[in-house]
Amino acid sequence: MNDTFNIKRFGWVFKKSVLERPTLMLGLMLVTLVITLLTYAIVQSMAGIAKAQVSAFVFGFLVGGSFMSSSALGYFSSNSSGTSFLMLPASHLEKWLCAVLISGVIYAAIYLGFFRLVDVFFVNNYYQGLDPNSPNYQNLYHSVEVFGFNNEIAKNIFVIFFNISGAMLLGSLYFNKVSYIKVALLVCTLVIFTYFANLLIAGLFFNHIDMAIPFKSIFLKVGSAIGIVDLPEGVNSAISFLISYVIPGTLWLTALIRLKEKEM
Amino acid sequence: MIKISNLSFGYSNKKLLYSDLSLDIKGGNIYGLLGKNGAGKSTLLKNISGTLFPKKGEVIVNGSIPQRRKPSFLNTVYFISEDVTLPPLTLRKYLDLFSVFYPNFNVDELNTFLKELAVSVPAKLSALSFGQQKKFSIAFALACNTQILLMDEPTNGLDIPSKAQFRQLIASVMTDDRIIIISTHQTRDLENLIDQVIIVDDGQLLLNESVNTITERLIFETVSIQPNDNRILYAEKHLKGVSLVRENTSGEDTRINLENLFNGVTSKPQLAKEIFTTNTK
Repeated sequence: MNDTFNIKRFGWVFKKSVLERPTLMLGLMLVTLVITLLTYAIVQSMAGIAKAQVSAFVFGFLVGGSFMSSSALGYFSSNSSGTSFLMLPASHLEKWLCAVLISGVIYAAIYLGFFRLVDVFFVNNYYQGLDPNSPNYQNLYHSVEVFGFNNEIAKNIFVIFFNISGAMLLGSLYFNKVSYIKVALLVCTLVIFTYFANLLIAGLFFNHIDMAIPFKSIFLKVGSAIGIVDLPEGVNSAISFLISYVIPGTLWLTALIRLKEKEM
Repeated sequence: MIKISNLSFGYSNKKLLYSDLSLDIKGGNIYGLLGKNGAGKSTLLKNISGTLFPKKGEVIVNGSIPQRRKPSFLNTVYFISEDVTLPPLTLRKYLDLFSVFYPNFNVDELNTFLKELAVSVPAKLSALSFGQQKKFSIAFALACNTQILLMDEPTNGLDIPSKAQFRQLIASVMTDDRIIIISTHQTRDLENLIDQVIIVDDGQLLLNESVNTITERLIFETVSIQPNDNRILYAEKHLKGVSLVRENTSGEDTRINLENLFNGVTSKPQLAKEIFTTNTK
């Protein structure tokens, strides 16, 4: 018997992982999609379609994704379900891969597909609402287009998704009870601490700081003049690589190691 | 065969629950693991199942190290924890999802066990009461036909008829190579069922003997007046007289009283040790 990976056994674990908690999995997916739809509709009516696209995508994809990751290995809130999961005759790799597949691949694929459908619907609706005889028609028409998943905003959201999902997956193995809230608090604390630490350190080197974005830029304002101090290109690339690949990769892989060491 | 060698375990590094515990558990036996609340019964079972890891020493189960939790080990062991929670699935779906992991699972046996334990399965398993869920878990675990079956307080939550059915069922599935370990603090639930007794207290193994050896070396009796004998392991006064557990020097054969044995061994561990080691020589 191959104790590391067996495709048949992996299939069983995957099937079990999805179908064992149908209400949780389908419910989460459904709530996420409904939230996306509502956010899109509300923000569009208040601030226009371009902002609605970003808001709905950020809110739905990140909140839904984080919940999905937190629940993918979230068996440890009770002794019986935790023990049952650890004692399931499958390897750690198979159990971990299932969680990765569910929260990192399947969720993302379903969400992106749904978002595209919603987006196309709203954008077409917007186009149809325009008056072709209006002198501003061309400008208004071209000011809105379907949200591209390869633009800079989407890329940044993907990076945040993989970081947050990795943290949630790992956190569910460290915190048995209410892991989602605990990890969310931890991430928020880290972000706030980083922001203010960055601001404090920047203040030691520059005067007239308007805003300081950690690991990216410092905005200086003197009167009405604004200056931007960016990180040197090499350092910026290194940090970008770290945030895009190294940190999420470390978080997701540490979850596998933690699963091996998990006691209940 | 389960071999525990010099096991040290504690939930914190400062206070160890077990220190240097060694124990051999052989196939073909039903072991009763007895201990007070918090004595470490569940902890010991979890170290055997690989859901807790020893701080020092090692546990070997049929040549495997449990803490590695390899599938080839896990499909030979079934652990029923004290509190069971079944998912909101139909019986068919549950079997479809879970039984595939156990190569010796037998659905006909499951149906028989469910019938014997008087479990009528509703549309969703989660709709069963706690006691019924427990009985379902026991029936499923037995139908998996794993070589090792670990049960943590299985009779908690069972009504009186179910406890008797449970004992009959466990006795009926025993085979020569199977090991069943049942932890409990309700000693009466295991009477007439177990053939080996393990008593743990304060992280120490106080007794690991067969029921035959225990009845060879101890007498369990009720007398009207307590004799003046310093080899009395336990005495308890009640309306009909005094229940005694004392050293068997006459070769008399009496029926084991697990509760009195447990009370005796935990209250006078040194005397118990003397009685059993002396007789071994």
